[in-house]
Amino acid sequence: MSDPPLQGTIITSQLIASLATRTTLETPGVLRLEPTVQGFLARIGPAALRHLRNPGSQNGTYRTDGVTATISDGTARVHLDIATDITYAALDVAEKVQQRVRESISHTGLTPGTIDITILAIEHHRGTTIT
Amino acid sequence: MALDDIPRLGCGRSIDSIWATTDRPPTAHEERCEQCQTARTQLERLSEATRALRESDLHNPALEPRHGIKNAIMDVARAEVRRGSRILLRSADNGSTEISEQALSSLVRFAAAAVPGVHSRRCRIEIRPASAGPAGEDPPPGTTGTATTAGPRLIVNLRVAAAPGIDIPLMAEALRHEISNAIPAGVGIGAGTVNITVEDLYDV
Repeated sequence: MSDPPLQGTIITSQLIASLATRTTLETPGVLRLEPTVQGFLARIGPAALRHLRNPGSQNGTYRTDGVTATISDGTARVHLDIATDITYAALDVAEKVQQRVRESISHTGLTPGTIDITILAIEHHRGTTIT
Repeated sequence: MALDDIPRLGCGRSIDSIWATTDRPPTAHEERCEQCQTARTQLERLSEATRALRESDLHNPALEPRHGIKNAIMDVARAEVRRGSRILLRSADNGSTEISEQALSSLVRFAAAAVPGVHSRRCRIEIRPASAGPAGEDPPPGTTGTATTAGPRLIVNLRVAAAPGIDIPLMAEALRHEISNAIPAGVGIGAGTVNITVEDLYDV
């Protein structure tokens, strides 16, 4: 009996961005990823935006709201623009995000590169009161 | 030699240069030159027509963006403002963490709002290298690790208006206390120096 065929998976920068988005938003203390002009255009006209950007590729950069993912020679680098909850220490939240995103990337088989984070806002979570 | 593709009048002046000055009085040359005067008259009509079209678009309800789109544009605009000035909190081989000055300022304002009789105004945050700090101060937390550079020392400059009759030194001390607690709690670094300027009194 012959061996089953090997399954190949293509990990694109778009997939890494999507993975980083989900991982970031699931981290306690993260309120949201900050929107960008490009992300906004993607929402109002995805077809139009395709003319403006390079689609996710195995060697390339993909940008969406608050996330820039780059794959280069088997290494994935990510930049995240986040807003954090005021009841958490933003630096701790950022460190946790970096750690989780790094783990997520390593599950894809790529090498995690730098995970850079910019905290663009520190706010009260909706529903909490300002004391 | 490259050819000059710019459309020019017989007197040598370009149409572009006349178009750029239609909102100003004619120059001495334009007052004498018939070609310039004719071009200017025609361009003034064109300028008036484009202005009328712009004005019409501005008040055309059919061209009003949907409410959601307006909000999304404002969200992007606010985020772009926050992206302006950033402070490096931590830098390591596997990634860095920065914070926008806007985020820190809003945290300072939240803290200041807890002190009665104070209205926050302008808040600027400067960064001082850790080595330049006064002797005896502990380095800011969150800067440990083998490949990690030292975190910043902040200088918070907050301008406020105070309620009349308020004890200003006490109020300033309370503000300093709130801000010095809020920054380590909300960010995870030391507050550094907190300078408070009471620049006005407001009417209660």
